[in-house]
Amino acid sequence: MTGTLAVYQKELASYFRSPIAYYVVAVFLLGTGYFFLYNVFLTGETTMAATFQNMGILLVTLVPVISMRLFSAEFSAGTAELLLTLPLEPWQIVVAKYLGAVTILVLMTAATVVDLVPLYLFGTPETTTILAGYVGFVLLGMACLALGLFFSTLTHNQIVAALITAAVLLGLWFVGHLQSFQRSDALRGLFGYLSFAQHFTDFIQGLVRTEAVAFYLVVAAIALTLSAGYLQWRR
Amino acid sequence: MTSDSAVITLEAVSKRYGSRTVVDDLSFTVDEGEIVGFLGPNGAGKTTTMRMIAGFTAASTGRVRVAGYDMATQNVEAARLIGYQPERPPLYDTLDVSAYLRFVARAKGVRRAAVPAELERVIVACHLEAVVRREIFKLSKGYRQRLGLAQALLGAPQVLLLDEPTAGLDPGQIQETREVIRAFGEHHAVLFSTHILAEVTLICRRVAIINHGRLLAIDSPSALRRAQEETHRVSLQVSGPSTEVRDALLSVKGVIAVDVHAMPDNAGLLAVDCRVEPRQGLEAAIARAVTHRWDLHRLERQEPTLENVFLQYVKTRPDGA
Repeated sequence: MTGTLAVYQKELASYFRSPIAYYVVAVFLLGTGYFFLYNVFLTGETTMAATFQNMGILLVTLVPVISMRLFSAEFSAGTAELLLTLPLEPWQIVVAKYLGAVTILVLMTAATVVDLVPLYLFGTPETTTILAGYVGFVLLGMACLALGLFFSTLTHNQIVAALITAAVLLGLWFVGHLQSFQRSDALRGLFGYLSFAQHFTDFIQGLVRTEAVAFYLVVAAIALTLSAGYLQWRR
Repeated sequence: MTSDSAVITLEAVSKRYGSRTVVDDLSFTVDEGEIVGFLGPNGAGKTTTMRMIAGFTAASTGRVRVAGYDMATQNVEAARLIGYQPERPPLYDTLDVSAYLRFVARAKGVRRAAVPAELERVIVACHLEAVVRREIFKLSKGYRQRLGLAQALLGAPQVLLLDEPTAGLDPGQIQETREVIRAFGEHHAVLFSTHILAEVTLICRRVAIINHGRLLAIDSPSALRRAQEETHRVSLQVSGPSTEVRDALLSVKGVIAVDVHAMPDNAGLLAVDCRVEPRQGLEAAIARAVTHRWDLHRLERQEPTLENVFLQYVKTRPDGA
């Protein structure tokens, strides 16, 4: 436990002593702020629905920047030789690093609460719907980060890790669109099920469905298990 | 092969990457209170062997044990007992020195209350006092190397694995690092690789020579030298014409080869290097052959150096021999 906590703290320190965390949070807040202004002040609707939708796609493009360094940087800097010879199981290292990245996610999510101030000042938004949206957003982010972490265990090159992660996440975000081109119900069902965006839409509408929650958590669990298994195997 | 006090034991260890064999059937032990030097040309398999002992990679076949733990299955348990300095210091550039050491100490399971004293100990031992607050990316190569050693010493390991710990250090720092290794090796097991052969002679009880992933010899430095008697040399300084000196020396029975060159700072004086058979009284015969015609300024029998021993092993015993 002590060791896992130490790796987690080191992870956070690494994020905040390099420009990455600041860059990601800044870009995310600028983007979210812009979408919020556009959606609320131009349309006059006091909901977060459209903003959440935009935050989702923004997240999918920013996650690779957070996750690319998780393991790739350790391999390229030679620090993996220290990390993987510590008295820690691979899953402990994976979990510690993952929680470090999730902490960044939670921080950037929390910072968007600023947007709610004018919403509540000038309108009467539905609090439960907004909460559901935030829950969905964090779950979406957790699934994306776990996938990004897995891809960063596969390569020494951070850029390669980021590019693979971006391609896969964008694919999973837009895969729902393929439904319209399918005749087979099975394929339509599959594409719908795999779609990161469709599950997220439920949350935005205020629905916290067990299926959607489980979907993101299962994706994260599979990616993390694969990462730990891969680290063990590559020895 | 296994002795009671063996802390590191390798039994018929091989490592293959695809069809490439990097380490081939390697067996040796390192005892408690012993410093073993690990010699071999670049690419001989030293780093891979170190990584297998440290638990970073697993052996393809054979068994690596550290303090009784099988590194294939119990590497996490054994990790507490191992201090490992990889060839490239495993440093997080964005952290400062003390934050880095604190991280390693905590990750190795040092109790929070014991961390400050533990940090103090390795900072003093590795002479890092001046850079404690400095960010790692600003450190010179010598400091990086010593910080790599400092992290290996954290957490009271019983075994130290050091992959070229003195590379990139200046002579003073090399001296200090050797002292750290020597002090640690009095009560623990140390395996360290190096390119500096003098270092091995100075601090190691035994030397392991490997090439092409195979163990060629493991013994004390002096025993290794004795085993290679054919590398004996006699060197002398003579004033005389070079071709005639060479011919006169080659006519002495027991002289195998002669190398003559002019002394750069003293015109007329020749520096001569003879490779000779290992037999008594040869110096006298060489002296007689020279003194009756020219002036002999100096004559000296050169004991075989570890350099020669090493080169002999590496050259004459290619893989499979």
